[in-house]
Amino acid sequence: MNGPIILVILAVIVALRVWLRRRRRSTRSQSWAPAGLALLKGAVGLVAAREVRERFRGKVFRVGTLLILLVVAGAIVVPVLNSGKSRPQRVGVVGALPAPLRAAVVASATSVGTTVHLVPEADADAAHGDLRSGRIDLAIVDGRELIVDKAIGTVTSTTAQLALSVSKNLGLAEAVESAGLSATQVAELAGAKALPVKSLQPGTAKGAAQTTSTVGLILVFIMLTQYNTWILIGVMEEKSSRVVEVLLAAMRPVQLLAGKVLGIGLVAFAQAALVVAFALGLAEAVGSDLLRGTAPLVLVSTLVWLVLGYAFYCWVYAAAGSMAERQDQVQSLAVPLSLPIIFGYVMALIAAGSGSSSTFFKVLAYLPPTAPFAMPVLVGLGAVTWWEFAASAVVSIVCTVGMARLASSVYRRAILRTGRRVQLRELFSRMA
Amino acid sequence: MEGLLELEGLTRRFGALTALDGLSFSVPAGQVVGFLGPNGAGKTTTMRAVFGLTDLDAGRVKWNGAAVGQAERRRFGYMPEERGLYPAMLVGEQLEYLGRLHAMSAHDAAAATKAWLERLGVADRAGSKVEALSHGNQQRVQLAAALVHGPELLVLDEPLAGLDPTGIDAIGDVLVEQARAGCCVLFSSHQLDQVEDLCEVVTIIDHGRLVVTGRVDDLATSGARRLVVRVAGDRDASWACDIAGVNVSEVDGGAARLVLDESVDSDSVLRAAMGAGRVTEFVFERRRLSEVFREALA
Repeated sequence: MNGPIILVILAVIVALRVWLRRRRRSTRSQSWAPAGLALLKGAVGLVAAREVRERFRGKVFRVGTLLILLVVAGAIVVPVLNSGKSRPQRVGVVGALPAPLRAAVVASATSVGTTVHLVPEADADAAHGDLRSGRIDLAIVDGRELIVDKAIGTVTSTTAQLALSVSKNLGLAEAVESAGLSATQVAELAGAKALPVKSLQPGTAKGAAQTTSTVGLILVFIMLTQYNTWILIGVMEEKSSRVVEVLLAAMRPVQLLAGKVLGIGLVAFAQAALVVAFALGLAEAVGSDLLRGTAPLVLVSTLVWLVLGYAFYCWVYAAAGSMAERQDQVQSLAVPLSLPIIFGYVMALIAAGSGSSSTFFKVLAYLPPTAPFAMPVLVGLGAVTWWEFAASAVVSIVCTVGMARLASSVYRRAILRTGRRVQLRELFSRMA
Repeated sequence: MEGLLELEGLTRRFGALTALDGLSFSVPAGQVVGFLGPNGAGKTTTMRAVFGLTDLDAGRVKWNGAAVGQAERRRFGYMPEERGLYPAMLVGEQLEYLGRLHAMSAHDAAAATKAWLERLGVADRAGSKVEALSHGNQQRVQLAAALVHGPELLVLDEPLAGLDPTGIDAIGDVLVEQARAGCCVLFSSHQLDQVEDLCEVVTIIDHGRLVVTGRVDDLATSGARRLVVRVAGDRDASWACDIAGVNVSEVDGGAARLVLDESVDSDSVLRAAMGAGRVTEFVFERRRLSEVFREALA
């Protein structure tokens, strides 16, 4: 099982490397504007195209993308390897196994979520040999004795669960037989159904949806942090290198700002799209649960909120970048800015891990700074309706528009002020 | 491509500091105009005002009689004092990018980039990052960045700072050539004497106000006559101190720089010098720009 998965991962990594290298060569030799941006005329398009080209070329992007793909591959492949679902348990049978007992073994397998494949064994010694070599997971000798390779400690492995269940069921079958019941009575016993168990509180979401929202959370966190930092540092470097003076001699500040935000945003979404496509392809190849249940919905809502989260935060970081022109000044701005992101991320991780959401957490899902983390988790928990989702998105978009206007105004005032770090107070006292 | 840049009553205050104080002058096409003044005179603020990079408390910048807007500025070229290029971007791509931001087509921008890099002798560095270049070469690329789109007005803030004589000549040649081709060329320097040979017209400012403006030839030859006299063995020009109407402006390595009043006959100065020893040098000298500046302030 491991072999094909590793091959798939390696193939994707090699393909990505080749693609990026080709891309790099082709941009050097001739056309330098990424094709899609040719549509965007004027200064904004030119600025955005430059951002896309420079970022794709950077090592940070290539190494970062590879790392993210590795993390995603791990998140998809590891659960598949751990669950025995796709792998039937091989049970060696020494001597005869009457039909009722055979049915009991199959039923035991179903009850622990796996299937069995019965392998006839010549004698107990042959069964022992196969157990040791791993060819079979469990041996049944004459319907009365169960043998496993290693003593059962914890009951986490599928084989251990199966062994315990088979031992119980075979014991029961033996007791039924010695009680001398009629065929009808035996049939009735065999048809016994477990009573349904009612719970006072709703259960917690488990499985693929939960994994998807956790991995999605980590990705949104990494990507928001990375791309916003690019904006912060990018704006700061344009200011500190004074290239901004040359640029603003030819265009308006809002054009430069919009182009930058758009260009880096496009890089972010290209990366996100690549990661999602890779995740879906890999999930399909290894038969992961990612494509079943609510997991695809969680994936889509994570993507939507990555876009909305980026749109909201990019302006904040651009405005902050315009107020600094040295690395140390950036540090003092970056830390407070990252607090809401970290807060939202941690709260969402806790909610996704516990599988339940509090009222407080639901409030966070409507606040634009924390919604990108909280809302996809609520979707994963099935704790939100479509109109609640839409309402939160509308709130975020409205706030983003307001934030963009405010940030442009800060940027315009701060970007050409050099020397010490610009204080917000100075900017707004001048605005009045 | 004839144009005229006019600055009218530019005023800019930074808190208590007045950087520009009603400064007015104009830059006609076809001449290299030197914009001179000591550090902190307001040269950079004036140049930034042309590009809308600083707010003005009062005054106007006009191009061919009309207020300057974004469309006009795209036809100007600017080289800021602290330089401005992306350090990690390739030289050639950077120039093409700036050309395109000034409304050039991709093809024209590429052609102009190639031509300017060749003209400035840095064609082999088109594929290098800007930060990998020497100071002199960075300066050349910066000049190319201001020129790539064929501007009608060229504004260069201290373009010669930190350059060796070869670099000064190379950049100086380009400025003169641009002016001859009908471009308006304004460049600043705080080293007044360094640019004397380069510009035909100078505008000298101090404390945000105009001190003097005019043709270099006129400024250098107007005013009192100046003599440089060297007498063998004489170090302090004490022989000249007693001549009426003669002012010793400076003594530098035995060469005495004298400023003569209208009434003084230069022959009497020569006789006094011969009386002090063997005269090895006796030359009439033009006023240097630093002297023009000092005398204008006096």
